[in-house]
Amino acid sequence: MLLVESDGKALLRHYGIAVPEGLVISDATWAPPQAPRVVKAQVTVGGRGKAGGVALCRDAAETQAALARILGSSIKGHAVHACLVEAPATGRECYLSIMLDAGAGALRVTFIAEGGVEVESHALTPALTRLCAPDEASITAALAALTDDAAVREVGARLATLFLREELMLAEINPLFVGPCGAIAGDAKLVLDGNALHRQPGQESLLRANAALYPDALRKLDEGFDYVELDPKGSIGLITTGAGLSMMLVDELTARGAHPINFLDIRTGQLRGSPARLIRVLEWLSEHPSLRVLFVNIFAGITDQREFAQLLAAALQAQPCGGVPVVARLVGNGSEEARAWLAAARPDIAIFEDLEPSIARVAEYAA
Amino acid sequence: MKALAEFSARTPVLVQGASGRMGRRHTQLMRDYGTNIAAGTSLREAGGTIDGIPLFTDCLAAVRESGASASICMVPPLETRSAVEEAVAAGITLIVTIAEGVPVHDALHLRRLTRQHNVTWIGASTPGIALPGQAKLGFLPNVALAPGPVALLTKSGTLSYEVGFRLVQLGLGQSLWLGVGGDAVKGTRFAELLPLMAQHGPTEAVVLIGEVGGTEEEEFAAALAARPLGKPVLCLLAGREAKEGVAMGHAGALIYGGAGTLASKTAALTAAGAEVFATTTALVTRCAGLFGRLG
Repeated sequence: MLLVESDGKALLRHYGIAVPEGLVISDATWAPPQAPRVVKAQVTVGGRGKAGGVALCRDAAETQAALARILGSSIKGHAVHACLVEAPATGRECYLSIMLDAGAGALRVTFIAEGGVEVESHALTPALTRLCAPDEASITAALAALTDDAAVREVGARLATLFLREELMLAEINPLFVGPCGAIAGDAKLVLDGNALHRQPGQESLLRANAALYPDALRKLDEGFDYVELDPKGSIGLITTGAGLSMMLVDELTARGAHPINFLDIRTGQLRGSPARLIRVLEWLSEHPSLRVLFVNIFAGITDQREFAQLLAAALQAQPCGGVPVVARLVGNGSEEARAWLAAARPDIAIFEDLEPSIARVAEYAA
Repeated sequence: MKALAEFSARTPVLVQGASGRMGRRHTQLMRDYGTNIAAGTSLREAGGTIDGIPLFTDCLAAVRESGASASICMVPPLETRSAVEEAVAAGITLIVTIAEGVPVHDALHLRRLTRQHNVTWIGASTPGIALPGQAKLGFLPNVALAPGPVALLTKSGTLSYEVGFRLVQLGLGQSLWLGVGGDAVKGTRFAELLPLMAQHGPTEAVVLIGEVGGTEEEEFAAALAARPLGKPVLCLLAGREAKEGVAMGHAGALIYGGAGTLASKTAALTAAGAEVFATTTALVTRCAGLFGRLG
């Protein structure tokens, strides 16, 4: 997952990479110093500059105005709770990154002497980017082939250590300001591997310190399954398992003009005879006043649907979500008996074997 | 890829982590389906057996005693790296790993290691592979498996179960079912399966189930454009509504700033001559139509 810039910079600083002096501000009434400042929205999404989330301010009045404008606004659907306010750095603007190149099965080191927001316009020739093995010596050698600037190489070596030790997917500094006093990171785009969090306790603390910014990642860490809130004002609560099938359902419902609140991969194989996980999800869904219908879609290859049907009934009894209608599509192992049992236990639930009619019914309820 | 092409119901298979909760259950399910389970590894129960299958402490002993050449690895995500290293060192040539949540730096290391040793690795997190009607390695549910002419290549488990199940309902089975998994870095990518698809006699059409994130579908499209398959390729892509910057269940299903979007994948696949569908029903109907079945 993408870290907000201030968290990314905390990691850079920890590994000895210089960053501008700055403060994280969440209060629009804060009195800025009488000096030029850069104000940047702290959101976990890229492209914020073009979306109005960055302001160059010449004095305190401008800084205050920028904070008033950006704090509380929304950048690409992400509410801005805090801004990083920094002293502007100076120097030549360069681009430096280390990333996983999944296709090549290697790391990719990129250095562009003219960085900045238009960096995408550069064709990535071998003079600008190199593939290398995932070790410090290879990364350092790759960067040495791209630049002979000692300050950049120094930052690159530290970034390599950070990238490998923290098991990152992407570490990008754009711009990297290079001047007579060395190199300083003007921005930080660090992408963590959510699967490595269990053995990266430092990262876990970093995320918890800013819990409101990383709800999906922390929820996965704490609960052991994936629940992603897509539309807090949606009308459909999804009880689904499997990432691909759940994504497809969200796509198909949205294409029909219906709005799912969430994506869910509950992992039925891990329920172990307890409705607790289902109840947790129903509780989160019940917090949305816009919820109109619950849509259960479980394709069970291995899980016994008879057991799942009982867990579902128990969970709905514990948390009925205000009694909204429930549509359940159960297919796979033991599903015929499961459907019959559920129909007898909960005659109010609309039960289906096939996906299409169940989607149609959900769309009706949601409309 | 040779080990994958040669995989059959005769291939002796080692189950790594055979005595765990999942390992035990799936060892039995795989064997009941026809897989030649020759041995297992288990730290706790080495020296014993599960349903007559001998258990060993390590891969080397298991391979020496059983002659296993393929492995299905059922250990937790943080243990997958060392388990695969052990299997490679023991001379296994086809390794399937099922753990969800293998760290990406482990996967990168394993991709490089397995390629260096000419080992075919399917994973990190795959639902498995199957030669329907003959053998399977992994979780693939029997209800969705049947022999037939369609090769099913997929990132997702559940979405492929749905597609496979609905095709089977229409009388269309699979020639080969191969889950590459939803990880960012993985052992075998879609494009790497194209040469096998080209020479695979039983395969008359390919169904590719992709999703948002990464560039795997685009790589497949480029390889397909360079060497057309001469067989229809139908694609279903999930994740049109995925949230930017958030992994939707699969670590690989992650979009940043426009890269890995469905628009880019759809354009590349269509230009390469594949047909791309936005709904399961549309894909299943078209596939049935190709073979004269009523969708």
